[in-house]
Amino acid sequence: MQRSVLVLVIMSVIMLAFLPWIASDVMLQFAINTLLLATLAQSWNILGGFAGYVSFGNSVFYGLGTYGTAIAMAQFGLPFWVGLMLGALLAVICALIVGLPILRLRGPYFAIATLGLSGVMGAIVSNMDIAGANIGLILPLTRADPMFYELSLGLLVVTTVCVAWLSMSRFGMALIAIREDEDAAGTMGVNTTRYKVAALVLASLFTSIAGGIHAYWITFVDPASAFDPTLNVRMVIMAVFGGSGTVFGPVIGSFLLSTIYELLAFWISTAAALLFGVVIVLAVLFMPKGIADLALAKEPGWRYFLRNVREHRL
Amino acid sequence: MLLAQVLLNGVLLGALYGLMALGMALVWGVLNIVNLAHGALIMLGGYVVYYCYTLLGIDPLLALPVAMASMFATGYLLQRFLLNLIVRGALLNTLLITFGLDVVITYLGQVVFTADFRTINPSYSGANFMLLGLTVPVLRLIAFGIALLLSSALWFLLNKSGLGRAIRATAQNLVAARLYGVDPRQVYAVTFGIGAALAGAAGGLYGMISHLTPYIGSSLTAKSFVIAILGGLANPFKVILGGIVVGVAESLAALYIGPTYTDVVSFLLLVVILVVRPAHALRAA
Repeated sequence: MQRSVLVLVIMSVIMLAFLPWIASDVMLQFAINTLLLATLAQSWNILGGFAGYVSFGNSVFYGLGTYGTAIAMAQFGLPFWVGLMLGALLAVICALIVGLPILRLRGPYFAIATLGLSGVMGAIVSNMDIAGANIGLILPLTRADPMFYELSLGLLVVTTVCVAWLSMSRFGMALIAIREDEDAAGTMGVNTTRYKVAALVLASLFTSIAGGIHAYWITFVDPASAFDPTLNVRMVIMAVFGGSGTVFGPVIGSFLLSTIYELLAFWISTAAALLFGVVIVLAVLFMPKGIADLALAKEPGWRYFLRNVREHRL
Repeated sequence: MLLAQVLLNGVLLGALYGLMALGMALVWGVLNIVNLAHGALIMLGGYVVYYCYTLLGIDPLLALPVAMASMFATGYLLQRFLLNLIVRGALLNTLLITFGLDVVITYLGQVVFTADFRTINPSYSGANFMLLGLTVPVLRLIAFGIALLLSSALWFLLNKSGLGRAIRATAQNLVAARLYGVDPRQVYAVTFGIGAALAGAAGGLYGMISHLTPYIGSSLTAKSFVIAILGGLANPFKVILGGIVVGVAESLAALYIGPTYTDVVSFLLLVVILVVRPAHALRAA
């Protein structure tokens, strides 16, 4: 990575870290949400972007993270960090159990097999008394938005550093090789199943911690919101909008899309969802490789957009 | 007797599920587009029938062709002027663009139709008769018949007509089909239109048997997905059979395990099939 980029990133992180002292309450809440979403998109990027395995099941790890934290804190009175660890443990175990059979499937099969995952886990959790069944759990109330902000920022930084390391390491090379041609990668001696499962486990770890932070921040969990399948679609859209398989793409994509959505909801509250859908359609049409590719394009502007359409139209 | 009744209900409902999945399987098999807006198209078809019945007083069963025609036009235009622009992109991109369409259609539905629950209630909606000690609901039987009728029609269209040959040729080899004078843009748009028309018919029947809101789309998309995989993409009758398998499995799960587990059962069915027999699925028409 170029030194100038590194300096720029460190500077922005330091500036972001001071946000709680200047921002209003509403602004801070928006920022926490955005940072957590960016973490989710970045975690999705590990398997989805680098290895090319599109997962629609990552929201299940998010749900397990929220429930691990909620059960530890609400049912057993354990401290927050123990809850985070419990949630992460549950998510990692789930990633291993689910990953080993499902990651043998290729491409669209894998995407489809993961599609119902969060619905299934939601149904199971809503029948468990320890998890508060359908009603949900209430966590001890804490009013400390700055702390949640710094935690979310820290988590996003750790996740992004991990992805940056990934992009330069043997592990990341193996994942990219799997994306480009899995059979060839296997022939060259890459243990593809092991790398894919490791990537899923890594993604599940960060995703579940983000879920745990969100649970304690909101102080309430219920099956419908914890295992919301549209959350996973949002992760994918943000990662792809920014540029999947890149280090900063998913972060930039989530920041931009969250801001666009929030502004739309502010100006024209009723039509925000509609315009959000339109933004997705246009983005896929004109810049399918994401903002990251647009920023690096040799000929930006309308030529770039037209070239993309020309490449993919019938 | 209870078991037999549950099985009968499952089979009748399952055929309608199969009809829902038929359009998705066709589009997926021929165009290689996993259409996440398929459920939204089903929803639109349901509302066309609903308004034909409530505003114009057309019998809902006679309004089904109206829904199919208008959905064919919608699907044709969508494919011709939007999806054809992206169809050679990565699978993920077509997934995303159809998801965006789903968001847009659902939102427009919410504005135009409002979020109220609607049911299409013709005079015969509660009718049933007894057969061998089992209660047979007339509407579900009609839906079953229409599902079989339309899947047969699709089979004949694909296998016995010139258009069907063009569609199958395009699915097998785009370049070769083009060399033989097939215009893939036209074929793709017509195929998507047929898929949307089938969705429209399914939506009308679904509105009579269940209820309509602008938000039913995403769960119906997921169900169609599972069934398209179970039934494969090549044979319309197998898709209906896949629907029946899911319908029966859901009914049995609701009876023995509890209604909250119906989705779990169809998902587990899907994963088991995918892991055990992956080569079975995804064969183009």
